[in-house]
Amino acid sequence: MINLILFAILGLALFGSFIVLALQGSPRSLPDSSAVQAVTEIINLEGSSFSNAKRLLDDTDYQVLCSNPDLRRLAERLRNERRRLALTWISLLQNDLITLWRFRRFLIQRGVPSNVREELGTLQALVLSLVLLIFLRLSIHAVGPFALPRATRQAGRLVDSMSKGAALVLGRIPTAGWAEIERSWVKSAA
Amino acid sequence: MDIFVVICVAGPVFELGALLLLVRNGLWRSYTSFFVYLTWLLVGNSAILIASVYFPGIYPTLYWHIDSIDVVLRFLVIWEVFHQIFPKTSGLNRSLSKGFGLIAFGLLAFGCATFLIYQNYTGPRSIHLALDRSFAFVQALMILGTLVAARYYGVRCGRNIRGIALAFGGWMSISTATNAMADLTTSFITYWYYLRPLSFVVMIAVWIWALWIYDPNPPIVESEPVELGQWTEDWNRTISAARTIIRP
Repeated sequence: MINLILFAILGLALFGSFIVLALQGSPRSLPDSSAVQAVTEIINLEGSSFSNAKRLLDDTDYQVLCSNPDLRRLAERLRNERRRLALTWISLLQNDLITLWRFRRFLIQRGVPSNVREELGTLQALVLSLVLLIFLRLSIHAVGPFALPRATRQAGRLVDSMSKGAALVLGRIPTAGWAEIERSWVKSAA
Repeated sequence: MDIFVVICVAGPVFELGALLLLVRNGLWRSYTSFFVYLTWLLVGNSAILIASVYFPGIYPTLYWHIDSIDVVLRFLVIWEVFHQIFPKTSGLNRSLSKGFGLIAFGLLAFGCATFLIYQNYTGPRSIHLALDRSFAFVQALMILGTLVAARYYGVRCGRNIRGIALAFGGWMSISTATNAMADLTTSFITYWYYLRPLSFVVMIAVWIWALWIYDPNPPIVESEPVELGQWTEDWNRTISAARTIIRP
């Protein structure tokens, strides 16, 4: 009985899915211009290009200001400002991850070999990372930017890794113009 | 009863129309598996129609036997849709066909399992409805999965394949739901009696619309083969760095 009810519900749900797909129209292919856009975005991964993440989340200045009662208000302003910047930076990191993921989709659509297992693994990693970054954002909202001192130290590694990853992805593109961009990037990053 | 007859006659007429479109435009060469299935539908449904008029005694048996064969032959449509969206020569096919094959095998096993446990149902039950329901569900999932994968990778579908896939998927979904409801409650049988052929005729009508002009899938533009290994390494490093932010 439960089986039959499930089949009835799932059948209707599937029918709804097909209706939605029909209404959405044909999927847009990724045009060449978006490839250029994707490469450009990877070169300028904004979260990666921010190199002072360690300093941003460092609470030394805040502690120094707090130690002087006359500077408490100034310390509070500094804390709020750092909070705003930290939130912006994490938002940029999220965008970077999504850009990398979109670029991967683009590569595979262009014939780069992969398999379903890797694809699902990538999706899982993306979702988990985004969830973790959202958690970090919430914690900054709730308890401020200096609450996770160890996370501060690791943030630098994230930025570094993302920058390297972006450059190496560029290196996989066999187009002469893009290869030139890659060489320029590696040179400037070195 | 008159409406039922109209629906039943409309089926073979529409099938003939769709076949003529395939032949007229030379599409049958491009969509061979689909052409075979459509030919089968015309032959099978014409036989059912003739039996219902001239040999009512064998009509129910013939109907369900043809339906059972149809359950298997429907995979031709799925095969056609998958290979039109992910051509054998494409990198996407090389990358995904093995994984999709495993998923398809899993779905088939699931279909067989759900069919075999129909004997455990209490109350009146039909082996034919169970067979149709189980495999219609699996086939709808396969078509949906193919379409979703195409959308995910930005593969464009032409009007021909898009129409065929969506109509087929819609029909399979309705078939799953109505067959389950017919087994759930006998009062639904009256509606099922009309819904089943009507949804089928609507599918053929959509197929005619889809095949009216030749609009195949645009070819997938591919780059030269490049290695993704380094990308994967960088990606994993990035992800692990992201995780260690929260869990150092």
